[in-house]
Amino acid sequence: MKRFLNIILPPIVVFILVTILLEAIVRIFGIAPYLLPPPSQVFRAMIDRRDDLAQSLLSTTEAALTGFALSAVIGILIALLLSTSRLIQRAFYPYTVFFQTVPIVAVAPLMVIWFGFGLKSVAISALLASVFPVIANTLAGLLSTEPALRDLFKLYGASRTAILLKLKLPSALPNIITGLRIAAGLSVIGAIVGEFVAGVLERGAGLGITVLVARKNGKTADIFAAILVASFLGMMMLAFINLAGYFLLRRWHASEQDKD
Amino acid sequence: MRWIIATVLIFASSTLAADKVKLTLNWVPEPEFGGIYAAQQNGTFAKHNLDVTITPGGAGTPTWQLVANGKTDFAVASADEVFIARSQGADVTTLFATYQTCPQGLMVHASRGLKSIADIFTVGTLAMEPGLPYVNFLKNKYGFDKIKVVAYDGGLGNFLNNKNFSQQCFITSEPLAAKKSGSDPQVFLISDAGYNPYTAVIITTSKLAKENPTLVQNMFAALQEGWRTYLDDPKSANTTMSKLNPDMDLDTFAAAANAQKPLIETDWTKAHGLGSMDPQRWKDLGQQLLDLKVIDKTVPINECFVEVKK
Amino acid sequence: MENRAIVGSVSLTLTNIHRTFPGPVIAVDGVDLHIPAGQFLALLGPSGCGKSTLLRIIAGLDKPTTGTIQTNIPPPNQTPPLRYPEEADQPRKNPNSNGRSSIAYVFQDAHLLPWRNILRNVALPLELQGIDTAQRITAARDAIAQVGLSDFASHYPAQLSGGMRMRVSLARALVTQPNLLLLDEPFAALDEITRTQLDLQLRQLWQSRNMTVIFVTHSITEAAFLAERAIVFTRRPARIVIDHQIDLPKDRATNIRGEPNFARQTRILLEALEKGGA
Repeated sequence: MKRFLNIILPPIVVFILVTILLEAIVRIFGIAPYLLPPPSQVFRAMIDRRDDLAQSLLSTTEAALTGFALSAVIGILIALLLSTSRLIQRAFYPYTVFFQTVPIVAVAPLMVIWFGFGLKSVAISALLASVFPVIANTLAGLLSTEPALRDLFKLYGASRTAILLKLKLPSALPNIITGLRIAAGLSVIGAIVGEFVAGVLERGAGLGITVLVARKNGKTADIFAAILVASFLGMMMLAFINLAGYFLLRRWHASEQDKD
Repeated sequence: MRWIIATVLIFASSTLAADKVKLTLNWVPEPEFGGIYAAQQNGTFAKHNLDVTITPGGAGTPTWQLVANGKTDFAVASADEVFIARSQGADVTTLFATYQTCPQGLMVHASRGLKSIADIFTVGTLAMEPGLPYVNFLKNKYGFDKIKVVAYDGGLGNFLNNKNFSQQCFITSEPLAAKKSGSDPQVFLISDAGYNPYTAVIITTSKLAKENPTLVQNMFAALQEGWRTYLDDPKSANTTMSKLNPDMDLDTFAAAANAQKPLIETDWTKAHGLGSMDPQRWKDLGQQLLDLKVIDKTVPINECFVEVKK
Repeated sequence: MENRAIVGSVSLTLTNIHRTFPGPVIAVDGVDLHIPAGQFLALLGPSGCGKSTLLRIIAGLDKPTTGTIQTNIPPPNQTPPLRYPEEADQPRKNPNSNGRSSIAYVFQDAHLLPWRNILRNVALPLELQGIDTAQRITAARDAIAQVGLSDFASHYPAQLSGGMRMRVSLARALVTQPNLLLLDEPFAALDEITRTQLDLQLRQLWQSRNMTVIFVTHSITEAAFLAERAIVFTRRPARIVIDHQIDLPKDRATNIRGEPNFARQTRILLEALEKGGA
């Protein structure tokens, strides 16, 4: 119990302090609500619009999780492919940067033509936004296996598959988890941006639509409310990944040991 | 004698130095701003003692926020935005209403043979910008349950590809582009359904209007003259604007300028002057927005616009 | 599975081995060497002289720029003889697959797979060779017992001390009952006491099996204690200074290090090292 409190109390305290500080700043300096809404107004917006926000959150979560899952699978596969030979790596790795730099708002209209409006396109938008860190981190992990261990496997006549599955992948696991941590937040952003272009307007259309509507109506407090809810989603995803990381790595990786 | 007159004139003109002001548009230079550019290049602004810097905008330019924040003196917005701004505590007001009839519409394929706006909501997909006040209006009036309503991405791709795809449009823009691409657009104006805010209005801060009424009067007069010039002959302003907006060719500029004429010059303006506003329309709009819950409290309409005496 | 005396051992003949790295860095400069079957050979030399490179070449982890290695393995192992440099890149496959690999290698660090427990680490070589689970678990437990770590079979490497990890590495090397055991300064990072214990244990293991052992070290006392024969190399590039038969009895206890004859052997080796520019 004490350990649990130790983990969740510090960030909660920070949250409360920052909220009080922001509220004070906005009131003292008389900042217009459409520029920077006071936290009290944001919380009120969250309460007033809780139904819509909850349904929108579900919608965005579905797309973000789908995109993230695709990122994880496709990203790891691409990294595996790139790790098989120096030549393939040199030839193709630079192009994976495409995933990182493509402005989603530019390609999203194309996606809509191919995949239609709604979940499919939004999930793919989430995929595009989040796949590169998975590729980069996984590849780094696969390529950084200890040379001595590689020698050991070679000595005992291990096949390429065996080296991959029994040595490279487990060895790359900490890196893969790092990549997934980064991809989690990006998949949420990708989903929201995807909704800007491919969203279906209905009740609980998604946090992206919520942001657009709020923006059009000058309701800055609603925008912040949507952002907070999106952050919550990101935090939940991170928490799960950290949990998975803990269980997978706790017996052997320095990052999960010595956690006091 | 001449010397004295010259000296006096020079002295006078230096004390009567033109007011330097900024005017921000809410889109790229297009015929909806024709009167502004006409006033600029014909020296109309200068004649009314104004030194105007015109700043084009783009997608999502937050014009009323810029005015309220003091980043620009004048800007282009729409009447419903003025209500939204004021309800958020932004101190903006309107001086000139370019479009008497709102140029927003829904664009459908003519081959579908639709007779009225109500027909649009029976089948197919409709793309609109999320958050536009008339989205709520249309939903209230016609209901969205029989169609699929999606976000508008600003492109024509979906419309061109799909007969049952309809989308929002600006009468001087998308329909012309669709026709050019060989499609068969048909436009139903939102105003015909009963939602008709003044559009492409010129706004400023109430503070400026109170403290410097002469400046506002001068701007109003200059805009009236500029639009008169543009309505009579849009060619030279179009040339200027098309240089700033190379994505639109001169033919389209001409066609658009033509299409928007009946929305700018109406029976009302013939009686009261270009750009002038009817308080009743402001009242109606305010009530509509309140009913649609776009704003959550009544906004006194005398704060929303100023009546400029000529 | 009685695995003591049946294991065969390999003899090797190195002819004119050169190894040059890009640079150019000459690591090995013309080494001729014959190692009879079952011998315990120590390779001594200053740090960086190239003795590790030579060991890797023998293991097949590296190939010489020029030169050949021939081995003779007495039956029943029937592992194909090695002909360098063509075979150097190919994994060493044993067609017999009865759990016997010709070569095992112990590195300077234990290099265990941190995500596996001790038992699965030791079983790894057999797993890579396709031996079925039951057999390899038995063999692994056996090897772990030989190094005295039976109580730790379910532990993970992170939970063991350095010395214990090295013993696991040793067990892993022995689990395939190798004909040729190569060790590259395996105990260098350990404390004196652990090192002495492991030296003794290694020697006993060698005596109970019929395998050829090549042990690289830069510790003179360790070489003298462990080996039957010590070859001293010069500073880089490695050339042989002396090839010396250690004149000590076959059975050696730890306290032999205190005897005058031991000191004589170490002096010979020390002089050779100094002569080689150590």
